[in-house]
Amino acid sequence: MPLSDQPKNPGAIHWVGENPGIMLKETEDGPWTALMLFFNIAWSPHGQGRTMLLLQNPNEAKSLPETHNVIMGDNEALTRFLQAEFIEKLATFGGAEGYKALQYVPITEAYATGDPHSRYTEVVKSKDFDVELVWDGLGTPTALEIPPELTGTKKHTMFSLLVESRDPAILIDGRKLPGKPGKRVQAGIETTTAFLYFCETWIWAPDS
Amino acid sequence: MTERIPVNPGTVDWAGENPGIYLKDTPDGDYVTLALYFRIVLSPHGRGHTMLILGAPDEAKGYPDATNLCLTDNEPLTHYLIDGFVSKFPTFKDKPGLKAATWITSAAFDKSGDLKASYTETAQGKDVSASMTWKDMNPPFAVEVSPAHAVTGAHDMYSVFLEAKDAEILVNGAALNGRVADRVLFGETISTAFLAFAETWVTPAK
Repeated sequence: MPLSDQPKNPGAIHWVGENPGIMLKETEDGPWTALMLFFNIAWSPHGQGRTMLLLQNPNEAKSLPETHNVIMGDNEALTRFLQAEFIEKLATFGGAEGYKALQYVPITEAYATGDPHSRYTEVVKSKDFDVELVWDGLGTPTALEIPPELTGTKKHTMFSLLVESRDPAILIDGRKLPGKPGKRVQAGIETTTAFLYFCETWIWAPDS
Repeated sequence: MTERIPVNPGTVDWAGENPGIYLKDTPDGDYVTLALYFRIVLSPHGRGHTMLILGAPDEAKGYPDATNLCLTDNEPLTHYLIDGFVSKFPTFKDKPGLKAATWITSAAFDKSGDLKASYTETAQGKDVSASMTWKDMNPPFAVEVSPAHAVTGAHDMYSVFLEAKDAEILVNGAALNGRVADRVLFGETISTAFLAFAETWVTPAK
C-alpha cells in the first residue's frame, strides 16, 4: 500500500515500462526449456523502445541459424542498457549457457493484441522470423510495491502490476515451443513463471 | 517512516499513461484550457486511448462552437474514465465544458518525440486533428498516494511524473489559449504540464 507519509519517492528513476515474461520447463524439477523477457519501455536514459530476450534453448551456447537464442530490439542503445543494468543481474537469464551465444536482431515491427483480463499477446517481427507471445488463463491484476530487500538487485524499490498466466505460449513462425510454466513465489504470493508486468518502475533506493 | 506492504490488497481499477496540460492566461487566474490524455493498458473495458481537450472549460458548448472535444477509440472505456475519475478531479469537477464536449469516436492515436526536449501525443478524428506537446522536461520522479492525497479522494495511485516547463495544445493546427503555470500537488509545487507514465489506480480494500 502507498506510504501515506511520503507521496514523492526520493529515489532516482532507473527505468519505467512493461516487463512481461514466460519461463517454460518440461517437468517441475527439470531445467528451463525456454526463457523469454519482453520490455516495452516508456522511460529510460536511452528513451523509449522495445526489447525481447528469447532463449529457445537456454542450455546450449548456440544461436542463429541453429536456434533462436537472440536479443531483439528497436532501440539498440536501450537494449544494451537493459542487458547490462538488468538482464545480466538475473542469474536465470544472464547466467544461461544460451545467453553466451546471444545474437542481436533488429525488430522491424512489434505490437500487442487482446486484453490483459482475458487473453493477451505481443507480436515481435524481424526480417527473417516472427515471434508470438501468448498469455492466457490470466489471473487477477495485483499491484506490487517491492522494497529493496525483496528485489533481485537489492538496490531498487520496484512498483509493478502483476497479472499471472497459467496458460502461456511462445511461438516462433507459428510453431509452439515445448514446456509449461513452473511455480514461483513473489512477495509471498504463489504464482507462475508466466506473467504480465505493467507499469513497472525501478527506483534507486536512496542509499544504494 | 511507515513500513511498506509489498502486496496492495485493493482492486486494480486501471493502468496506463495519463499525461496532462492545464493552461492559464495569468499565474493567479483560472485555467483557460485543460487537456488530458489516456493510453490505457488495463481496465474493465479493455485497452484504448482518449484525448480530452477543453479549450473553453467554463462554457457549456461543444465543438465547433467551443473547442471542447473528446477523441476516443474505445467509447465504453472513455465513459468509465470520465464518469468515474476525471469528473471527480478538482480541476475538472463541475466544469460545464466537460459535459458539453463533443465526442469524436474511432479516432487514431500516435506519439512522437523524445522525453527531454519535446514529446507529442496526436489524435486524428474525422475532420479534426489535435495534439498535445510537452517541452523541456525535468527528470522523472515516482509518486505513490493514498486516498488522503489522491485527486479523487478515494484511490491509491502510483505514477511516474515528468514536469514540462512549456507545453502546447493544437486543434486543427491552431494553438489553444494559455501558458503553463505552477500548482501544488502531493505537497510539492509542480508544473501544470506533466507526463505521467506507469500510472495505476487501485480501490483500497475495505
